Amino acid sequence: MADGTQVPRAWDRHEILSLFDPASGVLDRRVHSDEALYRLELERIFARGWNFMCHGSQIREPGDYFVTYIGEDQVIAVRDEEGAVNVLLNTCRHRGNALCRAEQGRAKSFVCSYHGWNYGLDGRLIGAPGLSTYYHGDLDRSRLGLVKARVEEYLGFYFATLSPDAPSLHDYLGEVGRIGLGMMCAYGEVECVDGVQKNIIDCNWKIAVDNLFDWYHVTYSHASADSAGFFDISEILHPKNQMVMLGEYGHAIGGPATPQEIQDQIDALSDEQREAMSRAQPRNSPRVRPSSATDLMGPVGVRSHGHPNIFPNLWITMSGLQMCLRLPRGPSRTELWWFTFVPKDAHAELKRKMIWQANHVFGPAGLLEQDDGENWSQSTRAAGGLASRGLGARIGMGLGHGAVEEGPRGERYVEGLVSEHGQRWLYRAWTEWMAARDWAELEANHAPPPSGAV
Amino acid sequence: MTTLNQARPTADARNDTGMLERLVLQHQVEQFLYEEAALLDARKYRQWLGLLADDIHYWMPIRRTVTNQDLDMEFTKPGAMAYFDDDRTVLEMRVRKLEAGSAWSEDPPSRSRHFVSNVRMLDVVGDEITVEVCFHVRRTRLNSELSEWFGRREDTLRREGDGFRLARRHIFLDQTVILTSNMSTLF
Repeated sequence: MADGTQVPRAWDRHEILSLFDPASGVLDRRVHSDEALYRLELERIFARGWNFMCHGSQIREPGDYFVTYIGEDQVIAVRDEEGAVNVLLNTCRHRGNALCRAEQGRAKSFVCSYHGWNYGLDGRLIGAPGLSTYYHGDLDRSRLGLVKARVEEYLGFYFATLSPDAPSLHDYLGEVGRIGLGMMCAYGEVECVDGVQKNIIDCNWKIAVDNLFDWYHVTYSHASADSAGFFDISEILHPKNQMVMLGEYGHAIGGPATPQEIQDQIDALSDEQREAMSRAQPRNSPRVRPSSATDLMGPVGVRSHGHPNIFPNLWITMSGLQMCLRLPRGPSRTELWWFTFVPKDAHAELKRKMIWQANHVFGPAGLLEQDDGENWSQSTRAAGGLASRGLGARIGMGLGHGAVEEGPRGERYVEGLVSEHGQRWLYRAWTEWMAARDWAELEANHAPPPSGAV
Repeated sequence: MTTLNQARPTADARNDTGMLERLVLQHQVEQFLYEEAALLDARKYRQWLGLLADDIHYWMPIRRTVTNQDLDMEFTKPGAMAYFDDDRTVLEMRVRKLEAGSAWSEDPPSRSRHFVSNVRMLDVVGDEITVEVCFHVRRTRLNSELSEWFGRREDTLRREGDGFRLARRHIFLDQTVILTSNMSTLF
């Protein structure tokens, strides 16, 4: 639990805040290698924040479960007989064995394979062998249910937190987080396509996260996907029409955006005309959003085709086709989980095209993603070198050249060229989360989305 | 369908023309699979493409750890998510990518070794022979990285001229979580 009792003495508040200097954009590379900082992240970020679990369509029926993580704590997201989604810590209250050893499936109850303690889909301890004999009736079953995380959902996406003090999911997401999830549903209610791609990269989880704001690397890192004829970088990059939205608690969205004058033209079109416009576009251009998307995402958010990150580690990509969790597995190890979604009501041919796209862009064999892992793992490896890590990482691109504007929903955003505003916002928020001992301190001391020059 | 009984050598096998044909075919199929694996290990990707049929389906579904009662969902189904779900066009793109001079995940290039064994002919229908094999791909790259993938493959070979073309490759990994940063390797 995020109670502040496990703080390693090695890092005090002042030291943590000095790990990133927003004024220069220089990041201390120990944030990508230090073991004590990593342990503190599990407590102060993952156990404290709201973590994405799964989408409701992955666990439709009572008993359907999906095993996932809050930090390194394994949890079971399961739908119970009443239709509610529970998130249960996957550890038996007897000796701690994992109750559920599959990745997903359907269960009537969860029975521990060690001694047979049996838990309901809501986590309550139903029974244990020998209750009245060996235990002489001493076990108070009512106090030995599985630990339940707080669970809330937005647009069918379920999140959980281990912190009783966290704000509601709605407030945690704020406007920018809600726009990010809204991007997933811009074309209507979605369902998850069967199959989560999972692979492990030897990199710090934050390098995988900050990369999603990095539209600078696309041209060079992914040049071979362009020359292979898989995609035309110029159709997706739009380096001069970039927008970075900066949200509460570190949420941000960064990447290409439809210029306002073009959005004005789109706004004048019917949904049918927008579909016709989509069909006439180059192959890799994002589909034009329907008018309902403006209600969901607001007039600024609806222009974004960038990458949202729901702090800490949930990337939304390809204008809402996929989500990727970057799960921490130690200071230099990250597990990537790719979830794919299609609009429930889309016709079969469109669904097929979307799934084809998802199967070939990202994931370990994806024509883009193949080239990311080694850059991240070698950056992480070098962060362990004494002299190398002392050099700092530079995320100062565009610093001092941005002007924050405010939208009608209070959205704060910067428009202009490719920049590193998103990365800076991420690491600034990270220092604030890491320096705060509890939610009260975080709420009191975190920077609100900026205004003016950035 | 070749059954175990049919495959068992008998004293008069040399006089059994059906048996001899099967042995020759088994040998030809194995030599094709070894040759194909050798092209991949030698990074002769363009030549490897030459062994593929125009209508090839190259597919690796996602495998999951599930309980015995949920084994029907152990693999994702066709049309759902997969690691590979390629036709010839995509495989050509993969090869063009490797040849592009900017495929950084393969420069320096990986060193791979494709092991193929337990070759069993499952079915012979017309020009097409479906075989099941066990595979083990080991890859090292840079100085210390070692990755491996193993499992079962169902390959369909189609006779063409004196040789074969690969018309279908369905790759069923034994692993669930992929323990490596990418799969820039072909299987």
